[in-house]
This record gives sequence, C-alpha cells and structure tokens, in this order.
Amino acid sequence: METAFISKLKPLLDAIAETMDVYVPAKVGEHYTCRKYDADGVTGPELNGIRMCTPVKEFLFPLRELAAVFPDPVDPEQVKPFAVFGLKACDLRSMEILDKVFREKDFEDPFYIARREMMFAVSSDCPSPGESCFCNVFAGKPYPESGFDLNVSRVADGFLLQPGSAQGKSFLFAHAALFGEVPDALLAERARLRETAEGRLAQATRDFQLDAPVGQIVERGYSSEVFDEQARTCVECQACTRICPTCHCFYLYDTKQQDYFAKMKMWDSCMRIGHAAVAGGANPRKMLGDRLRHRLMHKFAYFLERYGIDMCVGCGRCIDGETGDVDIRTVLKMLNDELLAQGQKAVKAAR
Amino acid sequence: MTPNLYQPMNAEIAETIEESPTIKSFVIVPDSQFKFDTGQFVELTLPGEGEAPFTPSSSPAIAEKMEITIMKAGRITGLLHECGKGQRVGLRGPYGNGYPLDAFAGKHVYIIGGGVGLAPIRSLFLTLMDRIGDFKSVVCRFGARTPEDFIYKKTLFGDWQKLPGVQMKLTVDKANGDWDGHVGVVTTILNRKDVDIANAVAVVCGPPIMMKFATVSLLDFGFDPKSIYFSMEKNMSCGFGKCGHCMLGRYYVCKDGPVFTYDQIGKYPNIWE
Repeated sequence: METAFISKLKPLLDAIAETMDVYVPAKVGEHYTCRKYDADGVTGPELNGIRMCTPVKEFLFPLRELAAVFPDPVDPEQVKPFAVFGLKACDLRSMEILDKVFREKDFEDPFYIARREMMFAVSSDCPSPGESCFCNVFAGKPYPESGFDLNVSRVADGFLLQPGSAQGKSFLFAHAALFGEVPDALLAERARLRETAEGRLAQATRDFQLDAPVGQIVERGYSSEVFDEQARTCVECQACTRICPTCHCFYLYDTKQQDYFAKMKMWDSCMRIGHAAVAGGANPRKMLGDRLRHRLMHKFAYFLERYGIDMCVGCGRCIDGETGDVDIRTVLKMLNDELLAQGQKAVKAAR
Repeated sequence: MTPNLYQPMNAEIAETIEESPTIKSFVIVPDSQFKFDTGQFVELTLPGEGEAPFTPSSSPAIAEKMEITIMKAGRITGLLHECGKGQRVGLRGPYGNGYPLDAFAGKHVYIIGGGVGLAPIRSLFLTLMDRIGDFKSVVCRFGARTPEDFIYKKTLFGDWQKLPGVQMKLTVDKANGDWDGHVGVVTTILNRKDVDIANAVAVVCGPPIMMKFATVSLLDFGFDPKSIYFSMEKNMSCGFGKCGHCMLGRYYVCKDGPVFTYDQIGKYPNIWE
C-alpha cells in the first residue's frame, strides 16, 4: 500500500499500540518531551511541530545500561518491539550516524542493534521549523525522505501516511480499513506545505550559510583562537553533548552486586574535564577551549573522514539546552569568516 | 545474538613479581586461549572495581599465559597492586594494532625505553629475539630513575646483555649503591652513530617527558618521522573506537594505535600530556 489518509491520530496510535509500546511527544511549556502512549489517557495524541527535546539515542543507547555480567555471562533481556512517534528528519539522520558507530563491522554493539531492530520509527514533517533549527545547512530537509517505517504529514482535515519500509507497508496493509484514499490534491498540499517550511528554514538560517565545506572550515581553523574565546561562557554543564542526538561518548564502570559483578555503560561527555585524563593525572584536553575544539573537529572533520557523514544533523538541541552561551552556529560562522579573511589576504598578497 | 564486545574473559592471577618499589608484574592465566600481537593492549578488569588498559609485557608466542607489568599510578592500579595469586580478573581484547614487525625486517631496530615503558618493549624485544635474523641489529637504550627502579632487573642486567645481535646500554637519572654504569637521562646515551639511520626504525616508550625529548633527538639525528614508532598511553576504555576517551586528534588510540608513528600524531598539541 502506498500513501494513505487518516483523519485522526488516535486510531493510528491505537493500532500501533496493539502490538507494542508507543512513545509519543508531550508538550511541556514550549518544548516537546516524550512519554509512553496511553490509549485510555485523558490527553489525546498530538503531533509535534518540531523535534522533541529527547534525542532518539535514548531509545537505542540509553543513559545507563548493563553491558556485561561476570564471572558467569547472562543473556541480555530480550528487547520487545516498540514504536517512537513524532521523530523528525534530523532524528532519522541521527540514527543513520549512530548506526555507523554501533553497527560498524567487526565492532557491533549488541545492545544497540537489539533495540534498533525492534524499533518502529514513525516520523513526521516539520511544518514550522524552530529558531535553533539549521538542518538545511547540512543538507537536511524539514521533512523525512528515508529512514522511517511510517511518515506522517499533516494536511487539511487529517494526515497523510507514507510507508518507508517493509514493516511500514505491512502495517498499512494490515490496518487498511482505517485508512482512506489519497486524492492528488492532498499530495499537492503536502508538497506545498513542505516547500513553505523549506522557505522558512532558509529564511531563518540566511545569516548562517558557510562558504566552504564544513570539514575544511574546522580543519583550517584548528589553531584559531575562536575556540578559547567561545568557550569562555561555557560552564561545563555538558548539556550540549547529552542532548545531542549524535554524540555517543560513553563511560564503562564496574559494580559489585550480591552474587555477581556487573560492567555498566553510561553516557559521558567530551566536554567534561576528566574525559581524556589518564591515571597519574596527565590530561591532553585540560582547557575548555581544547575540548570545544575537539568536539567540533570530531563532529565535522574526523567523523566525516572515517564514516563519510557529518556528525551533526543541525537539530539545534545543543543551542536550546546550553546553560552558557556557546552557539555551534556562531563558532562555525566565526571560523568560516576567518577562513574567508585568510583567503582574501592570500589573494591580496598574490597581487 | 551479536557477541558481546563488553564481556570480559575470565582469568586468574597466577603469580605476582615485585619489579621495583612502584611496579609489579602479574602472570595472568586466561580460562581459554587469548592470543595477541606484540604491542596490542588488553583491558584488565578487577571485578567490581574497574578496568584499565595495559600492553602485555610477555611474548605473544606463549599462548597459555601472559604477563602484565603495572605501575601504581591511580585507583585501579593501586588496587591491583594489593591483589595476589588466585585473584580472579577479567580480560577484554586484544585491541588495536601492534608493532609492524614486517616493516622492521631488514632494518636496525633502535629501541628507547624508560621506566614502566619497558613493559611493552619487553614483549617487543622477546618477539624480535624469536626472529633476530630478520633484523640488522637490535640496539637498546634504556633508562630508569635509580638502579632499583629498573624493571626486569634479572634479565636486563643479565642474559639480555649477552644476546648476539643485541647492543644494550642502560642509564639511571641518579646513581646509588654499587651502580657503575652511566648516569643521566636516556637522551644522554643516544648517539647518531648508534645505528645506520637511513636503514633503521626507532621505537620509543616511556614517561611522556622522556618520549618527548627522545623524539627531539631522533628527529635531530635525521630519523624519518615515519620511522619513529611510539606506544601511546591514553585513556583507552572501550577498546574499539566508540567511547571517545582515548581520542588523539582524529585517531582512536585504542583502535588506530596504540602504536603510532611520529608522522601520524606529531602535529597534534599536547600529545605528551
């Protein structure tokens, strides 16, 4: 079954919830967080305008998890199928990035893979991108094109459902009675809404266009003072890395239980002072500026070089979550302008 | 299900050897076979306490046990120093790339080591000895703070001095007792005539400050940055290039190293910190 129409979200979510837990957006203040869907709940489901605060990595690579038990290994708990509703194009791209790391050949993370395979990803368009959104700068679009099982687009009087995988197709097929036909007019409306959203995004990010590939900008700016300057307001809260859907540093630690030992895996942050420190106290990234430089180099140069994709989806969560005043767009733009200035100087010198 | 990368193999400490006032070697017997290449490292777990990365100091040719030499430097190493025979431990790995022995073949191998840096060097040295005919010569320049601080004293002061094809010179920062050898930091016993530089590789492992100045000397002697090898110590945690702690510029020391050439890492600031 190709694209389908449904007038309300509840029957769609109820149908998904028949076989699995579903996580849905819930508005808290001006942001969206994520909660488990309750089919009998008072508040009905809603469609989030922009991405939720919750990065999708929480579902695949949770804050803390059991990594190993010894001396006698135990089989990990079987992951049950689950669905996340309200993912955005940037979230889907963050999964593509995490896949590179945790599904890397010969180094596959069994826990990530188990969850990834059980996840039913329901995404939706971004009709009005937020102030901190800049996915378009990294070739993103305010609507999903791939990586979803099902995508939801709001149109007049209802929602268009587009399958993006075999699972998505069979879901629509199995619940065909819920859905109506899609007249061409609705497809045209979706295309129009998408175009409007793209226009808004372009307008919002017009001052943040880069003049060279971002990898080149950060590599050439490696010794720039911008990192130290921009790190001045950083209070090392690490929110930027925790809320980032692509940051994946983790920390392994051991615990003693009553009759076994456990190795735990927990999120960590490269902005934390002790992140790279070794026994004996040496620390190659003692200064905040060094850590900010490393974070950006990793995201825009090293990761790209290793996996062929930038480690940033332009979701802007780090900008919203930030306690200090470090804006990744500003840092990149300043490095970009320094590179331009260098170029102009070189041209002058050549004359 | 995908095998669990984080699951350590069970092993046992079979013997401990006091090497110096702050350094001990542990003979570890894994419950099943555990192969490694010289220069690769392992993650050693002290159950319930934590895990730390070490490069085995024994020859990889011996499969049934391995030796790990550990300096008391932090919490886990301090706790390991209190462990004795029979202590159960966990082993993960081996991780990373070892020394590229085939690239060393037909060349002089110039080995510069200091302090506990002799641990990975011992493993390399024993491996080179197994095929000594493949190399033009093995020239060692080792240092320690005082004569007591040398590890592997028995072999270092004994058999290793007499091996054919090997030239060994030792130095201490500070002499005491009946030490009648050289006194001075390692760089004071390095000489551009020690090896035919155009046909040599250098291997450096030791305290960061020693590695830094030994490298300065080697570059000054005319060594190609591609022929200077280090065994780097960073905060390797997962062992397979995911957790991010050991990143040195674009490299994951755990996966792309721990053996690097100066050519690869020399451009990054703070590599010796």
